[in-house]
Amino acid sequence: MIDRLSLWQKIGVYAATFVFLLFLLMPFIEMLRVSLRPMSHLMTADFTWWSEDFSLQAYRDMWVTVPLLGRYIFNSIFIALSVTVVTMVVVIPAAYAYARLEFPFKALSLGGFLAVNMFTGAVLLIPLYRVLRSLGMLNTYWAMIVPGVAFLIPTGIWLLRSYLEKIPRELEEAAFVDGASRLYTLRRVVIPLAVPGLIVVGTAVFIGAYAQQFLFAITFNNVREIQPLPAGLFEFIGYQDTTWNEMMAAALTGVLPVMLLFLFLQKYLVAGLTAGAVKE
Amino acid sequence: MTHFKTLTVAAGLLAGTALSAQAQELHFIMCGGEVRPADQVVIDTFQADNPGVTVKMEAVEWGTCQDKSMQLAAAGDPPSIAYIGSRTLRQLAGNDLIVPVTMTPEEEAAYQPGVLKTVTYGGQYWGIPHAFSTKALYMNCAVIEAAGAECKAPATWAELVALAATVTDKTDAAGIGIAGKDFDNTMHMFLDFLYSNGGAVYDAAGAPALDSAQTRETLQLYADLLPYMESGPTEWERDQMKDLFNDGQIAMYVSGPWGSGQHAEKVPTQLVAPIPAGPSGPSGTILITDSIAVFKGTGHEELAIKLAKALTTGAAQYDLDSTWGLTPILDYEKLGMTDVYYTKDSWPIFVAGISTGGPEPMVEDFKSLQAVFTNMIQGIMLGEGSVDELVTQAGVELAAVR
Amino acid sequence: MTSQATAPERMARRQLSDRAFAWLLISPAILFIGLIVVWPLIETIRLSFTDATLGGESWVGLKNYADLFASSKFWATVGRTFYWMFLSVSLKLVMGLIGATLLNAAIPGKALFRVLVMPPWVIPVAIGVIGWKWMYNGYFGLISGLLQEFGLVEERVALLATKTSAFYSAIVTDVWVGTPMVTLFFLAAMQGVSKDLYEAAWVDGAGRWYRFRRITIPQIMPVIVSMALLSAIWTFNSFEIIWILTEGGPRGATTTLIIDTYKVAISSQRFGEGAARAVVIVVLLATFSLFYLWFLNRVNRHYGAK
Repeated sequence: MIDRLSLWQKIGVYAATFVFLLFLLMPFIEMLRVSLRPMSHLMTADFTWWSEDFSLQAYRDMWVTVPLLGRYIFNSIFIALSVTVVTMVVVIPAAYAYARLEFPFKALSLGGFLAVNMFTGAVLLIPLYRVLRSLGMLNTYWAMIVPGVAFLIPTGIWLLRSYLEKIPRELEEAAFVDGASRLYTLRRVVIPLAVPGLIVVGTAVFIGAYAQQFLFAITFNNVREIQPLPAGLFEFIGYQDTTWNEMMAAALTGVLPVMLLFLFLQKYLVAGLTAGAVKE
Repeated sequence: MTHFKTLTVAAGLLAGTALSAQAQELHFIMCGGEVRPADQVVIDTFQADNPGVTVKMEAVEWGTCQDKSMQLAAAGDPPSIAYIGSRTLRQLAGNDLIVPVTMTPEEEAAYQPGVLKTVTYGGQYWGIPHAFSTKALYMNCAVIEAAGAECKAPATWAELVALAATVTDKTDAAGIGIAGKDFDNTMHMFLDFLYSNGGAVYDAAGAPALDSAQTRETLQLYADLLPYMESGPTEWERDQMKDLFNDGQIAMYVSGPWGSGQHAEKVPTQLVAPIPAGPSGPSGTILITDSIAVFKGTGHEELAIKLAKALTTGAAQYDLDSTWGLTPILDYEKLGMTDVYYTKDSWPIFVAGISTGGPEPMVEDFKSLQAVFTNMIQGIMLGEGSVDELVTQAGVELAAVR
Repeated sequence: MTSQATAPERMARRQLSDRAFAWLLISPAILFIGLIVVWPLIETIRLSFTDATLGGESWVGLKNYADLFASSKFWATVGRTFYWMFLSVSLKLVMGLIGATLLNAAIPGKALFRVLVMPPWVIPVAIGVIGWKWMYNGYFGLISGLLQEFGLVEERVALLATKTSAFYSAIVTDVWVGTPMVTLFFLAAMQGVSKDLYEAAWVDGAGRWYRFRRITIPQIMPVIVSMALLSAIWTFNSFEIIWILTEGGPRGATTTLIIDTYKVAISSQRFGEGAARAVVIVVLLATFSLFYLWFLNRVNRHYGAK
């Protein structure tokens, strides 16, 4: 049929996919290898694929070298989740407004939100520090959540808006005719239909939040107990030495929970992406 | 009735002040990423001796430490006290963020020559020097002898180049490791050689003096050594080179007293030598100190100064210097100590360079100063200019550094 | 809730409550952005007209901007940043198309492959870049080691040590970070293309390449264009990747505008000059985006998306 591939073509696709995935996964393979070797064998220029002294020692030692490691891993996930929840709460109504309603300055404000994407926290650091300080948020979880939310809102609105636009207006009209209020419609009619879109946008926001924690954490927070993982990894850099193998082991262990979460969510993610792209 | 009210108010105020006088928390930023045991002992004693006072230690690694302290100060939330590189003192002082330190003549005289210069600006001391380092040349005798050369300290630059060439030609290893990354110790390494050639960055009057014959000779040394350096020198800074040295990939490099311990396991046949002297001056070194600085605007500056002095008294300082492996910062023998640690092993070489050494230049914008040197050094390493052009340009760029 | 009002009155009331309701809905978002972005931005713009450093500030008018525009190094940085952006984004789009096509092919195991594509996107960027930095190391790194093993080079390659190789190595890492997201979005878009279109072409005898070129690409063009814009903006401001790999070196070879801004504002503590650079970044990106949005609008209308 149309999609049937010949044997050669199948082999070609597998080969190309293998190369593609190799490119994407190579650093992880390398990080794994580094984490399995003792330090003395790492800092040598003789290249070997397989080392006799591969061991899981680093995975044990890392909890000792950096005692708060478990806490850091938890913090990363907690912060990312919090950012996602707050962002979604703010984004859903806003995206609905842009998708459905007419109001003055609509295009301009939407463009304004998109313009926010043009900054990273890196340029606004000092004034932002002062703002957070006057709000009393420094050295709390909020210090990392609030800026994270702000920088993700534009992408969230932008993405969710296109999903909401695809929900047929007739369904809402029907609800109005039956006398439903706007909020009721939003809650009972729109949101259930928007679930695929919500999952996609929620996931994208979560990834964004999880990925960008570093800068805010090191600038706005001194309290070690609430630091997320990327900042905590720097504790492996000691006075004279960097324990690379433990650092890599910690990095891999730290991202494992999120990876597993992804394994679970990715089905919905792609389904949602597909649903969003379907044109009526 | 009014009496009672006044009394309660007064009591409240008193209690408030008493409480605030009692429960004070000093925020201590310790650059380097860890708190040294010798320091921790002093801090614990201090907390015990001053009830109600707690010291909140925050160890921050060098890369982000100075930036972080300054950011905190810039945003109005300064730490109480910081152990920080002396290079930042001028910027902090110039921006009115730290308080000057007064020393008695005895305290002044106790310091090794040149040390106090690293904390002086505008005629005042801005920090108490707390750690001191000088440099020497480390040589891997096993590799050198494998190349068929004698493992002997090169006295001049010509000998240095010849030795490096022999090693590179006859073995797989590179003759010498030179730092070329955009990092502070790249500049330091260059200055080790410049100060061993009678050169200077600023003259006695404080005017830029980099554009000179001595600097050209030093840069020429780098150009001569280029074929014998580790591959991709612009990727390496000195601390990373310890790994290359331990792995036998470089036969020589310049580092501080901590090197002996770092190399002991992998390079048992290491030799420590003074930095070779250039054509225009005697062997010297760069003098670098880290100091304890007390920040302004915390409300408990006096308390912080007290802690700073406690950490740097003769006995406490000796403890730190000897256990942590630092060049002695005070003249302990003058203070009456005998059997000091620095007359043994290779310590005399590190101590010898103090009198002919030069300080790390004190500027406001340290990163710009560093950039001047990085540009010049990387220019030679990447083949982007002649020695003359690069030094001239460095001189111009230096004049623009505040 | 049936009312006795006439239709126009109901309409008018609805319009009014529409607007009020809309503002209500977007006010939390505006509040957040206002506090965290707009206010610091205004402050940054103000700072750009001063010579602010740690110690204090004074008004200098347009001096910072004049200095910038007169500096040839600055224009070189601008050029380098745009080159960085165009190259990296183009590569990401191409890789995304390739990846999406591969993952869309009817082969067993594609669900697994889809999952395997995600890691670079899902992990914190800093961690992935540290991995790459390790791999690029001339002495201990994987790439140099492998190349020597397979005899492709005689001696170590220090990829981050020379100017051109450092730049392109950074591009590779940047593309690595961005590819998964682009791939997945393209994949979803491709899966949304109606099968009927393909069937019709197939019946008419069109080959695979033809179908790809004439159906797939045009059908997903709106997604390509909007992804390109988002990616362009992020790539323009890509900071962590370059900073961790090279900090802008060697000798400025990988210094983009954002790196330069960070160095001046944070490393050298010259807030005023740094702020001026930040404003320049915003203006450049805004101009670029406006142009792009206009382009996007035309593409959407042309391909009948909305």
